[in-house]
Amino acid sequence: MNLSFFDQFSSPYLLGIPLILLSLLFPALLLPSPNNRWVNNRLSTLQSWLLHLITKQLMIPLNKTGHKWALMLTSLMMMLLTINLLGLLPYTFTPTTQLSMNMALAFPLWLATLLTGLRNQPSTSLGHLLPEGTPTPLIPALIIIETTSLLIRPLALGVRLTANLTAGHLLIQLISTATTALLPMMPTVSILTALVLLMLTILEVAVAMIQAYVFVLLLSLYLQENI
Amino acid sequence: VLHTARPLHTSQQCLAPLPPLPEKGGEVRHGLIPEEFFQFLYPKTGVTGPYMLGTGLLLYFLSKEIYVVNHETVAAACILSVIIYGIKKYGADVAAFADKLNEEKVAKALAVKNDAIKELETAIEQEKKEQWRVEGRGYLFDAKRNNIAMLLEANYRERLLTVYNEVKKRLDYQVAMQNLKRQKEQDHMIQWVEKNVVQSITPQQQKESIAKCILDLKALSKSAQMTV
Repeated sequence: MNLSFFDQFSSPYLLGIPLILLSLLFPALLLPSPNNRWVNNRLSTLQSWLLHLITKQLMIPLNKTGHKWALMLTSLMMMLLTINLLGLLPYTFTPTTQLSMNMALAFPLWLATLLTGLRNQPSTSLGHLLPEGTPTPLIPALIIIETTSLLIRPLALGVRLTANLTAGHLLIQLISTATTALLPMMPTVSILTALVLLMLTILEVAVAMIQAYVFVLLLSLYLQENI
Repeated sequence: VLHTARPLHTSQQCLAPLPPLPEKGGEVRHGLIPEEFFQFLYPKTGVTGPYMLGTGLLLYFLSKEIYVVNHETVAAACILSVIIYGIKKYGADVAAFADKLNEEKVAKALAVKNDAIKELETAIEQEKKEQWRVEGRGYLFDAKRNNIAMLLEANYRERLLTVYNEVKKRLDYQVAMQNLKRQKEQDHMIQWVEKNVVQSITPQQQKESIAKCILDLKALSKSAQMTV
């Protein structure tokens, strides 16, 4: 059967049963579970080192109340990291290419940070709408601009992740189709395109990791402002 | 790693003393296929058996188009080459890093143990030194006793000196009293004698002595004039 370029982004179904939940939970199976040994095998040691690094990085700018978000942010980071990286394998479905999924992650978390700020320190979080040292005539315009920027944050978070991953996957598909199509006609151009594809793959690996990190980092930044 | 394998663990429960981790992981060939598979096929098909199986399977899938070669194949080739390159280049370093993390953890605990042992050993040394010091306590007490004896002696001698001085002062007083008394008696006697002598000089005697003196004076003046 012929694949169109967007079939890779359609949510998978098997005999009418949606597999989206399975594809979300599967990466967790690949990570070693913590066991009650003091000195572990290499994989567990590396995983705990990575988790420690991520948690430390995220929690340093936050105060004590912000540390309650540690589990949320670290587990979000690990999930996005594994989902993005696994999506680079052929014939895999990446849940984070679905806008619905990313908005479902971004919107509630952003709203949580906003409501925490408005509830606990309303004047401080509203004060963030006006940066320090603005000249007086600009104040009304700047407040409108800052409010817009605040309200567009969840949209930006979700769409950033979706767009980066979708674009990357689409590009991989397109260039590999070009390589395959050019192979019988102009093999040298095909080889060059294959080289481009190699570079792109390396870029996509980096993008996968960076986008996960950026998502969680921005959430922690919104948390810092509001907690 | 898949949790579904857990019911197959038929050995002891997890809370008992844990069995030690094996030194190395399972042997794999080409990074994917466990060695046991090759050993399983060895009796029937020899060394090349698994490779023939693999090639046959691959060609079967390709020829019957059960696996279709399309653009995904190219993408698969790229990502797999990136993964394999990464593993080959950095695999040993990552393993060494993980081992180093474990080593440091164990070393920290060992350091605590060794420090405790060292502290106890120093404590034992010091205890032995104290015991050796105890042996010298005889000398210490002798020296202290000598000190005290000297102090007592010095004190005694001081008091002796004060007693001597006091006694001498009293005796000096008595001597001075006697001297004073004699002196006073002498003075008194001299005065009495002088008084009596002056009283005994009668006016007759006074006139006679004065006339004699005048005669002497004249005689003397004559002799003086003569010499001049």
